[in-house]
Amino acid sequence: MKNKIIFLSFILFLLTAVVAFSNTELERLDNSDFQKPQRPGAVFEHDGHNEMAGIDDCNVCHHVYEGKKLVEDESSEDSSCADCHSLKAVVDNSITLELAYHKRCKNCHFEQNKGPVLCGECHIK
Amino acid sequence: MNAFIDFIMGPMVWITFLIFILGLILKIVLILKDVNAREPYIYSYMTLKHSLRSIAAWSIPFFPKSTKQSPVFYGVSYIFHLLLFLVPIFLTAHIVLVNEAFQVSWIALDDSIADILTIMVGLGLVFFMIRRMMVPEVKYLTSCKDYLLILIVALPFITGFIAYHQFFLYRPMVIAHVISGEIMLILIPFSKFSHMIVAPLTRAYMGSEFGNVRHAKDW
Amino acid sequence: MSNEIKTMDKSPIVKKKNTDEAVESGLAKLTRERIKNTINQVLQNETGPRFKAYVETCMHCGLCAEACLYFLSNDRDPSYSPAGKVKQTIWEMLDKKGEVSIDFLRRAVHIAHLECNVCKRCSMYCPFGIDIAYLMLMVRRICHKLEITPLYIQDTVNSHSATMNQMWVKEDEWIDTLQWQEEDAREEFENLRIPLDKVGADIMYSVIAPEPKFQAGLIYQMATIMHAAGVNWTMPSTPGWDNSNMAMFTGDNEISGRIARAFYETAARLKVKRVVMGECGHAFRSTYDVGNRWIGWAMPPFEVVHALEFYHELLTSGRIKIAQKYKKTVTLHDPCNVSRGRGLHDMAREITNMLCESFIEMTPNREHNYCCGAGGGVINCGPPYKGERMVNNRVKAEQLKATGAEVLIAPCHNCHSGLEDIIHHYNLNMEVKFLGDIIFETMEKKIYQSGD
Repeated sequence: MKNKIIFLSFILFLLTAVVAFSNTELERLDNSDFQKPQRPGAVFEHDGHNEMAGIDDCNVCHHVYEGKKLVEDESSEDSSCADCHSLKAVVDNSITLELAYHKRCKNCHFEQNKGPVLCGECHIK
Repeated sequence: MNAFIDFIMGPMVWITFLIFILGLILKIVLILKDVNAREPYIYSYMTLKHSLRSIAAWSIPFFPKSTKQSPVFYGVSYIFHLLLFLVPIFLTAHIVLVNEAFQVSWIALDDSIADILTIMVGLGLVFFMIRRMMVPEVKYLTSCKDYLLILIVALPFITGFIAYHQFFLYRPMVIAHVISGEIMLILIPFSKFSHMIVAPLTRAYMGSEFGNVRHAKDW
Repeated sequence: MSNEIKTMDKSPIVKKKNTDEAVESGLAKLTRERIKNTINQVLQNETGPRFKAYVETCMHCGLCAEACLYFLSNDRDPSYSPAGKVKQTIWEMLDKKGEVSIDFLRRAVHIAHLECNVCKRCSMYCPFGIDIAYLMLMVRRICHKLEITPLYIQDTVNSHSATMNQMWVKEDEWIDTLQWQEEDAREEFENLRIPLDKVGADIMYSVIAPEPKFQAGLIYQMATIMHAAGVNWTMPSTPGWDNSNMAMFTGDNEISGRIARAFYETAARLKVKRVVMGECGHAFRSTYDVGNRWIGWAMPPFEVVHALEFYHELLTSGRIKIAQKYKKTVTLHDPCNVSRGRGLHDMAREITNMLCESFIEMTPNREHNYCCGAGGGVINCGPPYKGERMVNNRVKAEQLKATGAEVLIAPCHNCHSGLEDIIHHYNLNMEVKFLGDIIFETMEKKIYQSGD
């Protein structure tokens, strides 16, 4: 009986430790482009996500716009999001960096009816 | 599940604000209609000057005599009511959502500050609750409905706080937060929360009776 | 607190609420049907959006309690707080849709008639400005319709109804009293007149019925003041001379309206420029604020002036000169109906300072003064309730005692009588006076000539 309790306590301790330290191991989006981010960068595991979501084309996310028009068959994975999406809305591009990230993820997750859509589901503390 | 979240954070928000705003407008219209039908004479006593004078006097912290006599209650009450509007309107997470929907945004509170202010709202509600339980003249007037009102206001703040800190049950907590917030807003025109717009009217009327007829101050 | 006064005979009075035979015999005749119908008729047909807003908007915060003399005098017993009184009356009537018991009504009459002076102090302590006095008057209206109004005050209303004055004063008695006062005064002022029914006079002077009945000296005093100031004045000889209005306080609005109408019509018949009221608060409320509304005038059809305003005018214009200032220390009680009801408190202070050498303020004062505990018809409910009234006025006694003044000025009849009771009951060693008393004592008694 006593051993059982010690064993269970040990398991519980391990679980707590896992929960407590697991955050540090999460793969997150780089949010260094934001001046004073209020939340930690969104958790996003690129390859795992795409495999699960069945996304093969890079330009689903890494799109290229010419003016207001989406350029098909071109992709922009070699450039940073912040190259086009600035922190404040500008005449050329009204979609701010923050909005670009949020809409890119959430719109799709709502359309697919799966994946995280709430603040804390990506910006895990 | 995402479809449900999409509903409560999309169409339901529209419905909520529609009921909230139209409800308040309807409330005022019904009151005015009732006044016109049954007590139209009050217009011969009401003046804009005296109405605003009274409302203004009662809006200045610790100016009316009553506020000096009960400084703790009024102090808590002023801060509570201010934060009740301030925190939700200037919360980053709310502004982000509005921005996603309308691409409109405004200045936001720092999350850490909003966090402290939320705790203050909670403490204010705890104060109101304890006052209801402890102060005899308040206890005498209190029924379960009064505690229910406190609960209805408390829920969006408590759930929002827990969700923000991601303490536990994150997704259910956010859903509870959204729904309880919507319930609170929807109830405003149809409950004692309507004092939000009716109190200025009663104050204006009393202010006019005092200022215009009685030539006296009512604070 | 050093000024605290030990309550006398408190326990027997507070525990058992008094009643009287009019209330009891009225209650005995009631049927469930009649109670329900009456309450619902009044609450549904005689109220409006204001009533609804007051009931619906009250957040049950209890801040009004701090305002109430009854609450404070009864050791903060919550059943005496203004909202507490609404809870015990209106809220329950609404909750039960008028199906209330006889015991409930016995309590309701008592609350509305004896535990509230409808002084409206609480409206200044409610952040929303809810008019609790109005709600209490609604309860009195219901009691009136159920015919359970307390005996003594109902008798004054009956008198109003039959004679148009509050004290069963007959017409010839009234005229006789005025002529008697005129005669007496002529020993002091050779040519003094109390002009009756003088059409086109500048001023109609109007008093309450207790003056000819018990305090005819007050009419004498005013006549000398009028004479010394050289005022073109008159007093009516016909019904309508009494400006008091007890029906206003029992919810008998129909009679209340008749009284006010008779009063205005008398003044109209005499074609006077304005009416000066004696030092009475509720009569002023009736003619300045309430009676006119019932008849359909937003404001009185002609200028109605409280004695206090009139004295101020005479003193500042120099038509009355003060020979020697009053020596004793005085304090001033602001009656609800002239301070909170008409904003005359600053004027009252100016007059007091013009008349008296040493004036001590009581606290609180001006609009925030504590009620005298007698007004609003409470004292008029008579002897059966005097004991409990004294208990309910303890804080007023403490307030008076703290001033240490020898003389208490109260420019209102109801206040005057109530304060005298308080002073006797609590052995305060103070003298209550009207402003007119002090003017009479201190003024130069020579006749005013224009250009003096």
